Amino acid sequence: MKKLIACVLTLVLAVSAVGAMAEGLTFSWWGGDARHEATQAAVAAFTEATGVTVENTYSAWSGWEDKMSQYFASDSAFDVNQVNWNWLFSFVDGEGKSKMYDLNQVADIIDLTQFADAALAQCTVNGELLAIPVSMTGRIFYWNETTWQKAGLETPKTLAELMAAGQIFAEKLGDEYYPLALGTYDKMILMVHYLECKYGTDWVTDNKLNYTVEQIAEGVQFIQDLEDAHVIPSAETLIGDGADSLDKNPKWMDGVYAGIWEWDSSASKFGAALSDGQNFVVGEYFTDIGEFQGGFTKVSLALCIANSAADKQTAAQLIEFLLNSDEGARLMNSQRGIPLSAKANALCQTEGLLDPMVAEANGKVIAWCKNGLDPQFEAAALKNSDGVYADAFDGLSYGDYDVEEAAEVLVEGINEVLGA
Amino acid sequence: MTNGSSAVRSDLRKKRRFSKLEQGYMGFILILPWLIGFCIFKLYPFISSLIYSFTDYDLFKGAQNFVGFENYIDAFTKSKNVKALQVTFAYAFMTVPLKLIFALFIAYILNFKIKGVGLFRTAYYVPSILGGSVAIAVLWRALFKSDGVINTILAMLGFDSINFLADRSWALFIICLLRVWQFGSAMVLFLAALKGVPEDLYEAASIDGASKSRQFLSITIPIISPVIFYNLVTQLVQAFQEFNGPYIITNGGPRNATTLISLIVYNSAFKDYKVGLSSAMAWVMFVITTIFTIIAFASQKKWVYYSDDDGRG
Repeated sequence: MKKLIACVLTLVLAVSAVGAMAEGLTFSWWGGDARHEATQAAVAAFTEATGVTVENTYSAWSGWEDKMSQYFASDSAFDVNQVNWNWLFSFVDGEGKSKMYDLNQVADIIDLTQFADAALAQCTVNGELLAIPVSMTGRIFYWNETTWQKAGLETPKTLAELMAAGQIFAEKLGDEYYPLALGTYDKMILMVHYLECKYGTDWVTDNKLNYTVEQIAEGVQFIQDLEDAHVIPSAETLIGDGADSLDKNPKWMDGVYAGIWEWDSSASKFGAALSDGQNFVVGEYFTDIGEFQGGFTKVSLALCIANSAADKQTAAQLIEFLLNSDEGARLMNSQRGIPLSAKANALCQTEGLLDPMVAEANGKVIAWCKNGLDPQFEAAALKNSDGVYADAFDGLSYGDYDVEEAAEVLVEGINEVLGA
Repeated sequence: MTNGSSAVRSDLRKKRRFSKLEQGYMGFILILPWLIGFCIFKLYPFISSLIYSFTDYDLFKGAQNFVGFENYIDAFTKSKNVKALQVTFAYAFMTVPLKLIFALFIAYILNFKIKGVGLFRTAYYVPSILGGSVAIAVLWRALFKSDGVINTILAMLGFDSINFLADRSWALFIICLLRVWQFGSAMVLFLAALKGVPEDLYEAASIDGASKSRQFLSITIPIISPVIFYNLVTQLVQAFQEFNGPYIITNGGPRNATTLISLIVYNSAFKDYKVGLSSAMAWVMFVITTIFTIIAFASQKKWVYYSDDDGRG
């Protein structure tokens, strides 16, 4: 009996030792359920093709940035990571060295020729290619057509139509119905879009805010007008809904809020969240705001290898498989937006794998938006729930600030982040 | 015979030596695992955070400059931090008395001989086990959202709905309510103390014509005052450290109305990467908690009665 126990224990130890020696990769991303499923399938296919095991860690966006910043700061990040564009500029140590590996070093494994130079340039910092951009994205309107029809309206093609819709919604459907719902960060992006349509200038260039307090006050007034005209719910109403994000808000799911201003790469989760019988459609950019095609596009997200990764060659193989291989492209399709990889894009187009709505929205975004984005736009001190944007727009909505004061809060906070 | 007795003596000497060793070091050896854990996971971070609080330590860049008291000045001058201090005081001063009063009240009732008292005691204790969890905080938010259960009940009773999560005063109140609801552990301690109050004191007081309220104030409260004191100190410390409720239910909002110091500590370090400021805020919180604990200990001479010879603690 003792011999048997000793044999079993030896076997267990041996198996554990072999298991520990056969190190695989770790991979992290954020997203919705559809993205999780697609990515898990693609990773399983990679394991089948190469024999390399991959441990996945994934979640929704909420709280993800805090967690990842801790991993990167402590050099314990996952081997391969889905990263937000601004992380490339902020995850840098005291000597200016990035926490992400220079992917030029594995250019023999990742086929960089599949990506446009301009796209790769956006992920290149100090001559190092820190991540591979997966797709480009921008903000565009999406509407719940069913609710608009209930209100006896067509989805809006102009700002004037949108402004007029607020009162019609209130009268025909009830005070709790709104044509559009905007979170704090949505308000900021829509305001910048509005100002860029009016003035044509990029929001920030070379660490300099290009708009005066008076011009920004015009933008803030525009947001206030939307609230006053019953186009968007107040901050108080949205907070009272008690939802983490709009796609988890029952009022969005049930069509009480009938529009969003969202990234084209992540809008599909809003469509999926709607209850049965509601039609989710891509909107149009308004031509009556100004003479320019304002708004910006940016790298929606990218894949990087952490500097702390033990086996960077195998990590590069995983990125190559996910972004450039036929099988990876088929399984990932447009779950992270329209693929920037020429090969993946061509295959998805040929085989009809792209979500038609994502493709339509991305086509409109790329055709319309002419402005660039400064990476500091998404700096934590500005974008966070207790950041400058929230202070200005929630303060405005709660009546703590008037339009001029909110504009000053924005200018002061942004200049502080820009170091101006 | 001589050899035999010398061997016995040698054995005894060895045993005595071992016994001395045992007396001198065994206790230390036994607490060594705890001591190592304490030094690594408590003492080292505790001292490091004090040092970091005097630097511009950034989560990614590390400490680059000694900044003196700059972080502490920020803690007491930046409007967001000052507001957090005010909110933390409001939270602690609202939560601790309410919780103690409620726990004592329920314990007093459960001390009566009523049918099914065991079931009631268990039911009232359960929230204490569940209370700090994320799931309960999520549930709390669902209860108090604009179309949540509480507003549905209010509507059924003919009242206007209240925007609990978005109204500054109500938001802080529901955060406090979550903590007050977790009164079970304090209640159990009160219950044990109430059971220790000698019955003959009540009988004597009744014969002397003392009313129930008089008996409660003049007999019950003084006798259970050590437990009140213990609960006061532990609840005060817990209140100043509260994090889960405001983080999950309101995320510090609306307009920072529920941003406690603990949230500033977290947000500064992990959202804004300012570990130096975060450490300073943590030390401010520590000093405040210490001051209140010292005040509580100093005041016990005036109102806490122990059953020692001198009758005082």
